[in-house]
Amino acid sequence: MPEYWIGDVEGRVLGPVSLDVVQDLVNTGRLTEITRVSRDGRNWGTPSGFPEVMTLLVNAPSPDTLLQSERHEATRVREQLRAMQGRPPHEIFRLDRNASVDAYRNAFFKLVKRFYPDRVRAQAHPDLRKAYADAFQFLSRLMVHIEKELAAGSGVSPLPVVRAVPPPAPGEDEPLTPIPAPPPQMARPLTVVPRSMTPIPRPSPLPRPSPLVPPAPDGSYSYQPHEFVGFERREDRVEVTIRVTTRNSRMFTDHPLANLKTDGFFLACAKSLPLGTLVDVIFRFEEEHREVRSRGRVILENTGGDPTRPSGFGVRFITLVDQDRRFMLQFVEKAAAH
Amino acid sequence: MSDGPILIVDDDAFVRTLLREMLAEQGHQLREAENGHDALSLEGPPPRVVLLDLFMPEMSGMEALALIRERWPGTRVLVISSMDSERLVDEALAAGASGYITKPFHPMEIASAVERALDS
Repeated sequence: MPEYWIGDVEGRVLGPVSLDVVQDLVNTGRLTEITRVSRDGRNWGTPSGFPEVMTLLVNAPSPDTLLQSERHEATRVREQLRAMQGRPPHEIFRLDRNASVDAYRNAFFKLVKRFYPDRVRAQAHPDLRKAYADAFQFLSRLMVHIEKELAAGSGVSPLPVVRAVPPPAPGEDEPLTPIPAPPPQMARPLTVVPRSMTPIPRPSPLPRPSPLVPPAPDGSYSYQPHEFVGFERREDRVEVTIRVTTRNSRMFTDHPLANLKTDGFFLACAKSLPLGTLVDVIFRFEEEHREVRSRGRVILENTGGDPTRPSGFGVRFITLVDQDRRFMLQFVEKAAAH
Repeated sequence: MSDGPILIVDDDAFVRTLLREMLAEQGHQLREAENGHDALSLEGPPPRVVLLDLFMPEMSGMEALALIRERWPGTRVLVISSMDSERLVDEALAAGASGYITKPFHPMEIASAVERALDS
């Protein structure tokens, strides 16, 4: 079988894989920036030197073709969702009626990831985005329902239908949703110089949550999209670079909800970011000649509605290396002592 | 082998951190590497399980998979990748992977897959 190595703009390499795999990945948009190709993993050339690879790239679906196929896919997903609603869970997951919770979970993960919201490309047809979100939500609620019923020792019943997906009228196609302008393709850099913060009472210490989304107090997950991790999408992130000095270190301590002890910080600044925005944060500790990188999500914002607090936004870390956390805690203590 | 760590091989520091924190909470001993070269140059007892990305700089995951199987024949390799072509899954399994988990992954899914790999 012919073997190929594919390289992308970030220097990453995939291979050896067959040309069929390359075709799959190109057609599904998983491989979009092939910069080099090799047949042995050592000698590389540009894609144009490999006619069979170029053919795949040239024949990749056009944006119009993709939109049309996405609309058809949306119709198919909605039909699939209608078919699932009200059916016994073991049939949906193709399991034995008395399957264990582990078997349900494994089958659930296999099925639900097909509908993960970020699997659709940024410029995807909005109907497809909506259909995926609906299917994902239905399956997530169904899994929570299954876990509750199995924990209670009862059999697994169908999930009560809250709002069935209405079928299209006979002879009519699904209504077409207008396509909004595509979002920006790259992470938006935002360099922020924090303003001084209005003094507010120092918060009492709170327990530090895990950087992973923790399960609910009863040990259960809700299986919402944000609990899934590891999917690379740069276009929906904002990169925030913050110069940190002892004078502005209170960004880590003063806000009662977004502070280092709650695994976050509050940035007082004129530019706010919408709730839920994923941010790649680079803290530049200038006096310490140290840089800390982390990822977080905007959990609160004050655009001036609360005059008792400075305007700005609060971020909860999704990931922060323990060593960096320790360094930041020490830095904050040292700054407070000044 | 029974004392070996779980080895995380992924060029994305974010993914490594998440996996490390999650598996450490479950009491696993962990090591990590940014790519296949670094993974294969690690000294110490062979890892019991390797969580391996496929699309990495320096050395691809498929190449690393072959070399890991050669160097540590008893080690289970779980591929974790956002490349979800069914044919790629088949090729990774044929190359010796014990499992293939597509990104995005759920913490419980990884925990369960690691436990299964350790038990097998």
